[in-house]
Amino acid sequence: MSDDAELLERIRNGATDDFAEIVRRHQPRVFAILHRYERDAHKVEDLAQETFVKAWRALEQFDGRAPFAHWLSRVATRVALDHLRREKRRQDEIGLPEVGDDALDWLRSDDEKNELDARSAAELLDLAMRELSPLDRVVITMQEIEGRSVKEICAATGASGVAVRVRALRARGKLRRVLEKLVKDENEQTQAEATV
Amino acid sequence: MNKRKLKQLFELVRSEPAPVPREDFVADVLRAVHRGPPVTAPEALAISDQLIRLFPRLVFAAALVIVLCVAVDFGLTAAGMPGLGDGLSQISAQWLLTPDEFRL
Repeated sequence: MSDDAELLERIRNGATDDFAEIVRRHQPRVFAILHRYERDAHKVEDLAQETFVKAWRALEQFDGRAPFAHWLSRVATRVALDHLRREKRRQDEIGLPEVGDDALDWLRSDDEKNELDARSAAELLDLAMRELSPLDRVVITMQEIEGRSVKEICAATGASGVAVRVRALRARGKLRRVLEKLVKDENEQTQAEATV
Repeated sequence: MNKRKLKQLFELVRSEPAPVPREDFVADVLRAVHRGPPVTAPEALAISDQLIRLFPRLVFAAALVIVLCVAVDFGLTAAGMPGLGDGLSQISAQWLLTPDEFRL
């Protein structure tokens, strides 16, 4: 089976249907990246399609110095960033969703045995992340969840190394404060209900 | 909220599987791709486009040169040496007509 470079060369020479193989190979990675920023599976699919169409249109800009997967990841991250910016404006109008009781219990508990499933954890983190700016969210997601280096984050976002470090630090602090506030609000609500 | 709890949260989220694409996802992408413009090499930029693109840098460079000249002039004047204006007068006296010569 041809590697990406051969496939891309064939595509440039007119074998456009070979792009299907590129999509097939890289769709898991693209879906995984976009899922970090969008919980709705249908929207993730739309964003993945947007990513591949943008990659197709910008294919001439891929110079082959880095692996195609890295370049495509950058395209996906930019698509995610644009999506977050659009969503941020919409979110300001409709407000935040609520988080499940399991997640709040886990957040309040200091017991190591108290476990939380990945889905609830993702919903909780998604809620907290909505308080961050789109770029801060991308930076902290790439660093903490995708395990990317500062250099890779700079390449994907266009921010400088210092800016990435500052944004990551600021985002971590803000996430802690948002989660603390969630716990505090929940405790106050429980106390109010107990008093009644 | 301590750092450990936030770290745990990141770890948990890392293990969440991504949604699996539909079987016809690839076909949908290809349809979308064929609807759009074909892959072509980017067109070379015209000189006017390049100038427009470079305009902010040119403005910045010009402003920098002006600031540097003013600073040097101030520095030279403060040090009691002839400033850039005096230098220019000397040059013009050497190579161009002075106002007196012009009157003649």
